[in-house]
Amino acid sequence: MLQTIATINIILPFLYFVAFYAYAYDFYSEKKYLSNSKQIVLIVTLIIHTFYLISRTVEYNHPPITNKFEIFSIIAFSIGFSYFVLELLTNIRGTGAFIIFFSLIFQITSSIFIEHSYIVPEVLRNRLLGLHVINALLGYSGITISAVYGLLFMLLYNNLKTNKFGLIFNRLPNLEILEKLSFYSAVIGFVLLTFAIVIGIIWLPSAFPNFSYYDPKLIGTLFVWLIYGVGVSSKIFNNWFGKKVILFSLIGFVVAIMSLIITNTLAKTFHSFY
Amino acid sequence: MNLVGISINHKTSALELREALHLNRNEIVELIPLLKESFFSEGVVISTCNRTEIFGFPHNYSLDISPIIDSLLRSKLIDSIKPENFSKFYSCGAVKHLFSVASGIDSMIVGDSQILGQVKEAFEISEDLGFTGTVLRRIFDSTMRVGKRSIKETNIGDGAVTVSYAAVQVVEKIFANIEKKSALVIGAGETGELAAVHLHDKGIGKIAISNRTTERAEKLAVKVHGEIVPFQSLQERLNNFDIIISATSAESLIISFDDIKESMKKRKDAPVVLMDIAVPRDIDPEVGKLENVFYHDMDSLKIIVDQNLQKRRDQIPLVKKIIMEEMVGFFAWYNALDVVPTIKLLRSFFEGIRHDELDKIKNKVSAEDFNKIEEMTRRMIGRLLHNPTVKLREFAESGANINDVTTNTLILKELFNLGEAPQNGNTFNGNEISSEDKIEKE
Repeated sequence: MLQTIATINIILPFLYFVAFYAYAYDFYSEKKYLSNSKQIVLIVTLIIHTFYLISRTVEYNHPPITNKFEIFSIIAFSIGFSYFVLELLTNIRGTGAFIIFFSLIFQITSSIFIEHSYIVPEVLRNRLLGLHVINALLGYSGITISAVYGLLFMLLYNNLKTNKFGLIFNRLPNLEILEKLSFYSAVIGFVLLTFAIVIGIIWLPSAFPNFSYYDPKLIGTLFVWLIYGVGVSSKIFNNWFGKKVILFSLIGFVVAIMSLIITNTLAKTFHSFY
Repeated sequence: MNLVGISINHKTSALELREALHLNRNEIVELIPLLKESFFSEGVVISTCNRTEIFGFPHNYSLDISPIIDSLLRSKLIDSIKPENFSKFYSCGAVKHLFSVASGIDSMIVGDSQILGQVKEAFEISEDLGFTGTVLRRIFDSTMRVGKRSIKETNIGDGAVTVSYAAVQVVEKIFANIEKKSALVIGAGETGELAAVHLHDKGIGKIAISNRTTERAEKLAVKVHGEIVPFQSLQERLNNFDIIISATSAESLIISFDDIKESMKKRKDAPVVLMDIAVPRDIDPEVGKLENVFYHDMDSLKIIVDQNLQKRRDQIPLVKKIIMEEMVGFFAWYNALDVVPTIKLLRSFFEGIRHDELDKIKNKVSAEDFNKIEEMTRRMIGRLLHNPTVKLREFAESGANINDVTTNTLILKELFNLGEAPQNGNTFNGNEISSEDKIEKE
């Protein structure tokens, strides 16, 4: 089993690269050679990745959430999987390269640095924690996808405003669709982050009796949650369109990434497990 | 092959000359009997606003086609067109030109999507008037195949190549569901009408027309099932529309920056597309600086048109490859038609010898013996010619390698001194057989 896990660990970045290359080639080239096969490559990659995550759980007797690089692999998977579901639901196939690129980066980092450990801190074996992590990771995948579509929206918006009718104009879906994809991903991300926060707050007093509500992790997460909350409600209640909504998504994503980096490296927080 | 083609098109003459020579359906119907009587045994007349083409098999083998041109000019009572305004095509060149026309690569707007339908219609007129034969039918089968393959296998017809269609393409890059959007077309002239029709064809949810002259607006509104917005109250109504296309002949701006700013306030910044396809411009270009206002004028739309035209031109080599493939296929079939007359010649040559020999012994043997000898020689000739006949016929039916077919028929003619077999074509010197005869199997 260990040998299989090690082999798949090496293969996965290559598979994501092939999927990324297939989507990128299809985007840049107007020929339609890879329009169907790229989806098959992604499905195969996701199936093998699922098998890899299950194998790790069985072999090490804990879900693969006990170190940063196991989490990275799950993020790679959840971004790829969320994109795949979005592609199935909308049948918009032109934007995969921009999303799968993130899966590729996370999986490469994970595969290089991942540790194979049977020993994990007791606090990480809690069931509520498992739920908390799954919701948080899927939530972060949602806001990542939202930010990518937001960026694509801005690109096309600026191209249209400045009369540039090149690759971006020819190959991207229209502005309304990009805005919708970005908004729906943000809503899903926001809802899942809300669940993750609620579960975390329920679990927190029992796991860390001495925690502080001024902990940088809690403040950072709340800040991210508020940005998405305001953005989502503005769209729903004020019928906002375009750049204003997209800016919330992009700023929210940047703040979320900054918050993750700061709480995992610079600040002292209860949330440092690794 | 003695197919002849005469063409007047955008490469050979100015628009007014092409327009002057344009033949409508009735005029083509009147011209065909004239052509049939004086020049062609079969043929076709294609006429669009950009070209008039006549293809046919002449009654007499002659490279002088000026009588046909004179006759055409007389039928339209035109004297300003000169013979230099016509291109002439012969044999393979005529077939290739017809294929090029049908594929759209010879059109003024490369990849024109209407030409194939117009070629088909022209052929149907000839068919209805009994002006077609087997070879012409086969040429047109191949022509239609060239046109269809060009559309299916290449991108020769892709992308907007007119300003009004480019405007619609930009609209589709902004809005997802055009059928839920409303559009206002200002100006009911030719350009405005084209834009309104494009939007209507794309299934726009609601369309309104505004024009200084109400009658013209009403006429266009009826055509596109739209409503009328009075020209005087235009500014107050702007906020009701997601797409505004302006194509008037006004000398100054009719929509100002403040008009759009005010409209955007009322729309709560919902996006709006402004297409200014008028020269001089109708809309203040400064409006493009407003958030969610997508302003495009003739210059920016021309960029799209030029890009798409270039993309279409890049596809021409692929279309030419299809034309060559279809030409090879057609001429393989056509040249194989020579085989059947050769078989006929060969059989009659052998039959001739048999009858000569039978005549020699007719009075030397009894009637009963003569019948036996006649029967025996008939069977013998049949068996001797069975294999060559079957082999040559196989070539004819399968349209096989043209070199094999030609070599075999030539050898056969040489060996048995079969004389000059009839050439392909219909009536070069009055002795030839018709194309129907050529493909007759026995």
